[in-house]
Amino acid sequence: MATDRKSRYLASVYGLGISLGVAFLVMLIMIFIMSKAPMQTLYYFFVGPLMNKYYLGNMLNAAAPLILTGLGISFAFKSSMFNLGGEGQVYVGGLAATAVCLMIPEMSAVIGIPLSLAAALGAGALVAGLSGYFKYKWKTDELISTFLISNALIFIVDNLITGVLHDPESSLLVSRKIAEQFWFLKILLPSNLNISILFILLLAVLAYFYLFKTHQGYEMRITGLSPEFARYGGINVKKYFLIPMVLSGGLHGLAGAVSVMGTQHMLFKGFSGGMGWNGIAVALIARNHPIAVIPAALFFAYIEAGAKSAMINSDVTMEIAAVVQAVVFYLITAKVIQDLAARRSVKV
Amino acid sequence: MNNNEFSIPLIHNSIGIMTPFLLAGIGGLMTELAGMLNIALEGLILIGAFFSVIFVAATGSLFWGLLFSLLMTIFFAFIFGAVTLYLKANVFITGLATNLLAGGLTTVLAFYLYGTKGVLMFEGLPALPVFRMPSLHGIPLIGDILFGHNILVYLGWIIVVLAWVLIYKTPFGYRLRGTGSNFDAMVALGIRPQRYQMIAILISGLTCGLAGAVLTLNLGAYVPNISAGRGWIALVVIYLGGKTPFGILGAAFIFGLAESFSNYAQGFLDIPVDFILAFPYLITVVAMVLMSIAQHRKEA
Repeated sequence: MATDRKSRYLASVYGLGISLGVAFLVMLIMIFIMSKAPMQTLYYFFVGPLMNKYYLGNMLNAAAPLILTGLGISFAFKSSMFNLGGEGQVYVGGLAATAVCLMIPEMSAVIGIPLSLAAALGAGALVAGLSGYFKYKWKTDELISTFLISNALIFIVDNLITGVLHDPESSLLVSRKIAEQFWFLKILLPSNLNISILFILLLAVLAYFYLFKTHQGYEMRITGLSPEFARYGGINVKKYFLIPMVLSGGLHGLAGAVSVMGTQHMLFKGFSGGMGWNGIAVALIARNHPIAVIPAALFFAYIEAGAKSAMINSDVTMEIAAVVQAVVFYLITAKVIQDLAARRSVKV
Repeated sequence: MNNNEFSIPLIHNSIGIMTPFLLAGIGGLMTELAGMLNIALEGLILIGAFFSVIFVAATGSLFWGLLFSLLMTIFFAFIFGAVTLYLKANVFITGLATNLLAGGLTTVLAFYLYGTKGVLMFEGLPALPVFRMPSLHGIPLIGDILFGHNILVYLGWIIVVLAWVLIYKTPFGYRLRGTGSNFDAMVALGIRPQRYQMIAILISGLTCGLAGAVLTLNLGAYVPNISAGRGWIALVVIYLGGKTPFGILGAAFIFGLAESFSNYAQGFLDIPVDFILAFPYLITVVAMVLMSIAQHRKEA
């Protein structure tokens, strides 16, 4: 059993290595074709995010919400549910946190911060939970319903940003700034890294215990592995159409709140910026394991920071990161690659 | 306001607007019948939209430009299909990958070729020919509604008929449907179902390429993310249309009508544009939930 587990683990590491290797190869080719100074571009891509405290801290800070969305997707995937509405859930969470903070500008942080975090958690949970409920009640396909609801909400939040929440003193499409007492404490100046990262790491550990050490976590995993088997074992399978979605949406909402209160201090149009989609990639790379989500999120934040640094310091656009991520997406679930890797790891 | 003055342009416009839904829907129907939920439609439309306007501008010819761009979307559909079928990857995830790739690659290429990530305008781009039938135009109502569209609209209708023939009247169609309904039986019969799945994916690349071309060639420009969720709505059109070509024609028309109406509504109702943009998604969710309730009742 132990060796079996070890070889499976090795296989997934090798499989991951192959996927990432191909992705980097694609990136190298792109940069050599498109950049007039490819070596300089590559240097800033790889070294840029680690160059100084500012870049390093910002990269770690970008990983924080990705850990949350990655955990959120992991809960859904572990139960064989799809949540393609991450973008909208992050957006709605950010909206809820901003709205609460703007409503109580005089309130002390001790009450205000938990209140706005709870609002974000609730908003995200409600949005994703709705799709879970439709599935629970009438077997409505959650894959499409999460996406559609999320997209509709993005437009509606856009409208609120340019409408009731809009900062009249700004010509940009941004909301008013939240009061300063609600800003999270920064821990690596001058970067945006703040104390939320510590709580988020703790949350990943809690998620691990919930999923692997509690009864409900066990039932959720069994249902995800084989609903037939779970039903046969007396598990209320339908319950796990709802619970993972609520958890998933709640974590996405929290990611939105953390970005508002830790980094942006306001809401702006397009603010979710791929956090939801990247959460899916993070969960896939981590194979839905809550602890593995942490390095996976760091990896993603690194690629994005590298692409940004290459854009600022050289002559490529940061969307090359999206192409690299797409290649990872393509290969990450490929069984043939995993089998290949499994054979390789057995030999070793 | 005269009733006809309002409703005739409304319906006429719906027919133009519905065409991308219709084309992508027919392609998605093929993969759906082959047993795969194809969420890559969105990305394939975007790739088609991008390359069609670029190639038409580069060649100066509608025919060659369209041909090259269709080859391009078929190529990307092939990548999607090859990874899914031959490397045995999860079709949802590879579909997402295709959408992510489409968004990233179009931006990277636009920046590389034109130095901008914004709107690409092309001067003197050849316009899509409009099909007119002066002798039939005189027919009241029907003439006004059915004629005067660009040729891709009519190509869409031809494709509906072709799809119907292909699905219901040819051995290919039987095998395609067999692949979706009973994969293992097809294997047992010595028919390679993966081949049918691949062909279905390539057809969806072709029709999505056309759907994208309708968007940009009509506009004469490329706008970032011009597909704007049409591939997702096409998926719902497939379901609403009961997974038949003519059903999809009807469902696509309803979506065309809804969008056309909301465009008009901006003129006389004071609705913020964001709500109008959100509307198709909301109405689709409502339709999906109502359908699953109906299904649920039937089963109970």
